[in-house]
Amino acid sequence: MSNDTDWLVGAGLALSAIAATAMLQPRGQTKVTQVPASLPRRAGPHPRASVRAARRLNRAAGLLAVSVLADSSVEHYRGSFKNKAMYTPLAVSALTLAMSAHGTADRRPWAHRLRDGSYLLAAATGLAGTGFHVYNVTKKVGGFSWQNLFYGAPLGAPMAILLSGLLGFCSERVRDTSRAQRPHVFGLPAARTIAAVTAAGLLGTSGEAGLLHFRGAFHNPFMAVPVTLPPIGAALLFNAAARDPDDDQNRAHPLTRAWMWLLAAMGFVGVGFHAYGVSRNMGGWRNWSQNILAGPPLPAPPSFTGLALAGLAALGLMREHPDA
Amino acid sequence: MSDDMSGDPQVTPRASGGRAPDVFRPGGWVPMRSYRDDETVDFVIVGTGAGGGTLACKLAEYGFSVVALDAGPYFRPLEDFASDESEQTKLYWTDDRISDGANPLQLGSNNSGKAVGGSTVHFAMVSLRFRPEWFKSRTLLGYGADWPIDWREMWSYYTEVEQALKISGPITYPWGPKRPRYPYRAHPLNAAARVLARGCEALGISWTETPLATLSAPRGLAHPCVYRGFCVAGCSTNAKQSALVTWIPRALAAGAEIRDLAMVGRIEVDDRDLVTGVHYHRNGGWHFQRARNVVVAGYAIETPRLLLNSATGRHRDGLANSSGLVGRNLMTQSNQAVWGLMDDEIRSYKGPPSLAITEHWNYADKGKDFFGGYAYMSQGPLPQLWANTLAQARGLWGARLVEEMTNYNHVAGLKIVGEMLPQERNRVTLADEVDQYGLRIPRVTYSWCDNDRRLIDHSLAFMTRALQAAGAKDIWTQDDDTCHLNGTARMGDDPRSSVVDADCRSWDIPNLWICDGSVFPTVGGVNPSLTIQAIACRTADRIRAMARRGELTGQRAERTRRAVHATSASA
Ligand SMILES: Cc1cc2nc3c(=O)[nH]c(=O)nc-3n(C[C@H](O)[C@H](O)[C@H](O)COP(=O)(O)OP(=O)(O)OC[C@H]3O[C@@H](n4cnc5c(N)ncnc54)[C@H](O)[C@@H]3O)c2cc1C
Ligand code: SF4
Repeated sequence: MSNDTDWLVGAGLALSAIAATAMLQPRGQTKVTQVPASLPRRAGPHPRASVRAARRLNRAAGLLAVSVLADSSVEHYRGSFKNKAMYTPLAVSALTLAMSAHGTADRRPWAHRLRDGSYLLAAATGLAGTGFHVYNVTKKVGGFSWQNLFYGAPLGAPMAILLSGLLGFCSERVRDTSRAQRPHVFGLPAARTIAAVTAAGLLGTSGEAGLLHFRGAFHNPFMAVPVTLPPIGAALLFNAAARDPDDDQNRAHPLTRAWMWLLAAMGFVGVGFHAYGVSRNMGGWRNWSQNILAGPPLPAPPSFTGLALAGLAALGLMREHPDA
Repeated sequence: MSDDMSGDPQVTPRASGGRAPDVFRPGGWVPMRSYRDDETVDFVIVGTGAGGGTLACKLAEYGFSVVALDAGPYFRPLEDFASDESEQTKLYWTDDRISDGANPLQLGSNNSGKAVGGSTVHFAMVSLRFRPEWFKSRTLLGYGADWPIDWREMWSYYTEVEQALKISGPITYPWGPKRPRYPYRAHPLNAAARVLARGCEALGISWTETPLATLSAPRGLAHPCVYRGFCVAGCSTNAKQSALVTWIPRALAAGAEIRDLAMVGRIEVDDRDLVTGVHYHRNGGWHFQRARNVVVAGYAIETPRLLLNSATGRHRDGLANSSGLVGRNLMTQSNQAVWGLMDDEIRSYKGPPSLAITEHWNYADKGKDFFGGYAYMSQGPLPQLWANTLAQARGLWGARLVEEMTNYNHVAGLKIVGEMLPQERNRVTLADEVDQYGLRIPRVTYSWCDNDRRLIDHSLAFMTRALQAAGAKDIWTQDDDTCHLNGTARMGDDPRSSVVDADCRSWDIPNLWICDGSVFPTVGGVNPSLTIQAIACRTADRIRAMARRGELTGQRAERTRRAVHATSASA
């Protein structure tokens, strides 16, 4: 492994850490501006509410990108960047991250071309990555077997950048239609669509965690958490997406919101558990340079946080726009 | 820093003064129950390997008082094991022995260990079940001898051992009756294992990930495997689930005492033909530990040696030997290999040595011109072993050896574990020479039979095709290697044709037991340790059941003695 790649990976990790902190910053400011802007509950569509939802989605997309950047840096470094294409997710997720940071800070009620383009690129990268990973698994001796699903390129991983791209793209649509009668994505009600996409993402991510935790024989009972809580969250989100828009009472979805916060917290706590998992390898954290690669991936659990934030953005939009 | 760090575990015993080394914590200790020599314990166990270590744990957990003695040191794997093949020869039993016969066995590294934990401290962790038919191979397959145990009973004891060792294995096993899921998932295949897989796929036979006694995920304080491949030189991470880090800590926690560097030289028998304890050498002198029962678990050479060395006027041919079979029917397993060079780098030494396996020729009965079966596995020899192999098998030396060693990273090999048939002429007897303790040393006599040769030829021809199909070049065969040892005190239904019954209890002396690889009537084509441990678990259950029914001779005697003590105390 050349020093160049070491440097690159280091930079990737550092960038993701800084970005993760930055992504979560603007929240406090929005809160402050939120109070004077309090609107009559049923004021109908209000551009500011849509922009707020869009910015939240940028933030969610950014958090997913952070997770992808860190995870693919570590995992592709571990794979010695054998194939040049293995640099792609690093570059694309870094770009997505930058765009998402920009979007999170941007209060203008219209889409941004560069952001739009980079989100589409992210989605395309996710699709192509999935293709690469499927190819990697099936070309190995044994083909589509448990051995290769466990230890070949993880099939579910590129989905995270796909989701980041999709959520980002939705975010731009929400902004663009913020002055319309109802925010929409390709003609579909925005909040419901995003809720459904997020729910699907939660299921997929939970499936990936399930596969890898099965590989680890669920040796710690807490390993069951990311395969039980997210599917429930997904069901709640699907349910919210399917609710009758005229049903006034049920637009707040308190349980679903609470569950999303639970999942967001789970994503962070998961890093702690993975850090503990790393420590249980020979040499513990003293031998971090090997054990970060050998142990459970530190950057993986926050993708649940990213998705949960997207779910919250969708629920927020739903509350403010009856038919979004 | 612990006070035994300066002491050499091969010179000064570590388990004493009420404590034993904590193998999971550098410098740490665990409390250990201690017995006086003149305290009559329920069981003295000779040897703490696959058989003795397991039995010590189970019996202690069932509430018996247990003292287990081992001639070897009490190692702390985290501290004592170096990544150095020469240094690690300290794990082997290298005491003097005489080896003869038409195919003399090479004794030492590849067959026996001397340590608390026995040979499992440096075994290759392959953990396989017997093919069910092998337990009745005479009746069902027409060769060898029947076991006195039903395979279905063994199937549940195999499960117990697999759970106890957290065996990492494939999700579905391609051969034999259904078995429960292995507790841990299989390890990633290395390139050497993928060579085996490609060969099998080309020849149209099944293969799978080898069930291994090494962790693919953390377990308590034991770390998961780091894939450095030093397994047969002793695992320094505790990933390897040897008796030393599994059964022995459990045994200690349940109140057993382990005595390291304690060589048993003789079992004492009284006039009623009951054993009363063992004479053992420790700390520079001989001692006598009283016991109601003695279990011999010293492996297939040391077990018969101890029984023979314990002869008395009444038991002239050694203990438990009315059948004349003690020491006979020694069975090794054939361990021939085919090696070749691959274009790609293989680095076969990365990871446990045998990550992939095919048991095809254990389960297929057509297309064979021999009795029995064999499994073959991918290989990962460490450099020194590999240089030795090249020197011995191909006579390479000097510049030619050095040149061949430059191909080391491209070598891939397939190696069998093959069934050899029991023959009475293959045996352990006593030589006149004595060892460092003044005990007569064993003479090990071994000759292959025609069936053994046919099996080996079949395997070499098949593996050559497999290696060719996987793309290897410069293929050559290693025709003369053997591994595990079993037999020499076989179990059976009839006192005239066996040494112990199905419960590992000797026919001649009801409080003398044998519980290790010696009791195997046949060896099958799989590595033996899982079966040895399963038998030990079964023996413990049987002993508990017999004790409940009052069928353990020694215990009956003790109860009277206790009563006497009670009377004298109250008087
Ligand atoms: C290099 C190598 C690789 C192996 N790989 C595998 C594998 O992959 N899979 C598998 O199933 N098996 C494997 N085996 C075989 C397996 O280790 C043995 O079959 C098994 O450990 C035998 O169990 P045992 O209880 O009969 O004897 P052991 O485990 O050898 O235990 C015997 C113990 O008794 C002690 N002892 C002997 N005589 C006396 C005495 N008189 N007084 C006090 N103590 C005494 C010895 O010091 C020793 O510690 C391997 C063996 C070796 C050497
Ligand atoms: S490869 Fe695994 S089992 Fe073997 S010595 Fe290393 S850590 Fe232990």
